[in-house]
Amino acid sequence: MAFLDNSGDIILDAVLTDLGRERLARGDGSFQIAKFAFGDDEVNYENYDPNDASGSAYYDLSILQAPVFEAFTDNGATMKSKLISIANPNLLYLPIIKANVLDLSAQQDTNNMYVIASSTDTEKVKTSASAGGIFVAGSNQGLIKGVSLPADANYIRADQGLDTIAIAPSVVLPNELQETQYSIEIDDRFGFIASPNSNTAANLSFVDDDFIATYIVNTTPYVTPNLLDIESQSDQVIAGPRGTILKFRIGAQMNLQQSSYYFDTFGTTATINSRTGVNVIDSVIRISGMTTGYSLDLTVRFAKV
Amino acid sequence: MANVYKQLQTSDQVRSRTLLHEAIPITGTIPSGTYNETNIKNYAAKYFQSVYDYPYLSSSANHIFDITAGFSADSPFSGTNPHDLPVTASAKKINVYNEMAQVLMGYSGSTIRKFDRDGDFSTASDKMEEAVFLCFSRLLTKDEIKKGSFTLSFVTGGTVASRAYGATVALREIGDYGAATKYKVNSPAGEYGILYTSSAAPNADSGVGLIFYQAGVCMLTASVFTASGPVEDFFDNGGLGMEFGAANQTDLGAAGGGAAFGQGTAMTASINNSFVSATIQQMADGVRNCLYNLSFNNTTEVNSTIYFCRAHSSDFNYSTNPTYLSGSKIRVKNNSTDTPVAYLTTVGLYSANNELLAVAKVSEPIKKTPNNEATLRVRLDY
Repeated sequence: MAFLDNSGDIILDAVLTDLGRERLARGDGSFQIAKFAFGDDEVNYENYDPNDASGSAYYDLSILQAPVFEAFTDNGATMKSKLISIANPNLLYLPIIKANVLDLSAQQDTNNMYVIASSTDTEKVKTSASAGGIFVAGSNQGLIKGVSLPADANYIRADQGLDTIAIAPSVVLPNELQETQYSIEIDDRFGFIASPNSNTAANLSFVDDDFIATYIVNTTPYVTPNLLDIESQSDQVIAGPRGTILKFRIGAQMNLQQSSYYFDTFGTTATINSRTGVNVIDSVIRISGMTTGYSLDLTVRFAKV
Repeated sequence: MANVYKQLQTSDQVRSRTLLHEAIPITGTIPSGTYNETNIKNYAAKYFQSVYDYPYLSSSANHIFDITAGFSADSPFSGTNPHDLPVTASAKKINVYNEMAQVLMGYSGSTIRKFDRDGDFSTASDKMEEAVFLCFSRLLTKDEIKKGSFTLSFVTGGTVASRAYGATVALREIGDYGAATKYKVNSPAGEYGILYTSSAAPNADSGVGLIFYQAGVCMLTASVFTASGPVEDFFDNGGLGMEFGAANQTDLGAAGGGAAFGQGTAMTASINNSFVSATIQQMADGVRNCLYNLSFNNTTEVNSTIYFCRAHSSDFNYSTNPTYLSGSKIRVKNNSTDTPVAYLTTVGLYSANNELLAVAKVSEPIKKTPNNEATLRVRLDY
């Protein structure tokens, strides 16, 4: 009888993230670990093959053999996807969050981005291919006026629910799968989250050491129940049972409105709505459901003429 | 309610303290000039000399220790000395002694205590008035030198050339023998042990120096070099002259009025000559050239918090990974009654506001299903 191999260390050594070090350095008691979560950033579940002819031991072989990275100390670059606890083990479908581009006021531009006009001149109507703003008299699909943030203008919309035709939309989504609160992360140097129907800014929760601002929204006008359960509804992107709708807009920070520094540092030039030579910065915002943890990344483009 | 975070209870957090030790061997070739003395740094004020493990102008060099020497204002070398010679750098040597003594031995009222041979301050007759100091870098000692681990050996005669690799050399070894269980705590700079020669029976009279564990300072009384026996030979006559090197010999000779060194017959105890005629820097040259070996174990005190991250059977069986779903369907299930499965690779520790403060990784993905439970112990060191 051979001995068991006990060479593996069962204690995991944790490293502080840059945010953790910053909190520790504050010395004000803000470094307080209260909870934990498990992540699976390296796992590609497409490699799970429940039909492998060799048997169930081979279903997840390539997942289990996948190499795992060392810990990243950038708090924004790790724990992107988390494991989730749901009491019901018999779920075959889980809700997703999906950008709603069928809503005529929430469409993306031709590059599948949301464009944020970041100065008053940019919000003006284009006078020629190389002069004026980026707006035109007709459709301005995917363009958001990030300075004036007028009512009745374009916004960003994300719908939550089970995107499957296997379950009818009239079936009520269980409470434990229904999002009532969302977090929105955005680069605080460039933009802020604002109401979908006014120029009121959302309440900022915190900004981390990498300038990522987090907004938690859970009330109208940001979060509303998706009461439409008719399958044929034209502006629905969720095929099955629907949860809530998240709507918001992005405002341009003063640094973008009044300075070209960030555009020179991070940006490039592009053509928007046939307006050439527009300074742009491409950034990513992340929407996460606070109940299911599902997240959605959207690309936004800050533009300035 | 679905949840991605799990609250840590008080019973899930344990504090622990671990002492880590590293062996620090310093061979004599490093201080005696392996790098043609480019690893030896001198300063304009000549209060001390620094030894590096590599030419100190290189960014790869690490400071390993400093050497200095001094004597008390009550020493015979202060004022009229036994050889009736003008004492070189007398004020600096007194300053060094006093600075080391006030930090390491403290005060008796407003008077600086002298280094005591046996650590018993009540006896006045066993003070060590002349001393050589080795001050170790924090890089080496970390939090403290491990008690009972310090040994130092030096050659007792011959020349640098005669100490070539493999050559037989006469050595004297000094250590903090027995200090693992017997040490002193009456210093303001922490705990210290008494250094004895390896051949001595440790008693109140046989100490030849002190080792301050937290401060990382080794103090050797000058008498260890002038005691009868082979130690004296090294510093005596040609021994000292050769070890100091020709350049230093000239310097010392000049400082000592030409008769102090290299004469052989002028004086019989060359450490005395050094205190009289050499600068501190020149004394440091002599000390490091006779070092043969030096070793100790350092100690790092690691305070840890261990977080028990418990995943019960019903916890963490699904994932928010974008690849987990195809549309809304779970990829790892064909039917609703199939067991859900998820794989964890990372443990994140969060603040109450969901801010990621620390991260730990597992070596390979761990499978989590309702049929198993996992407790991961995550240690965060401070």
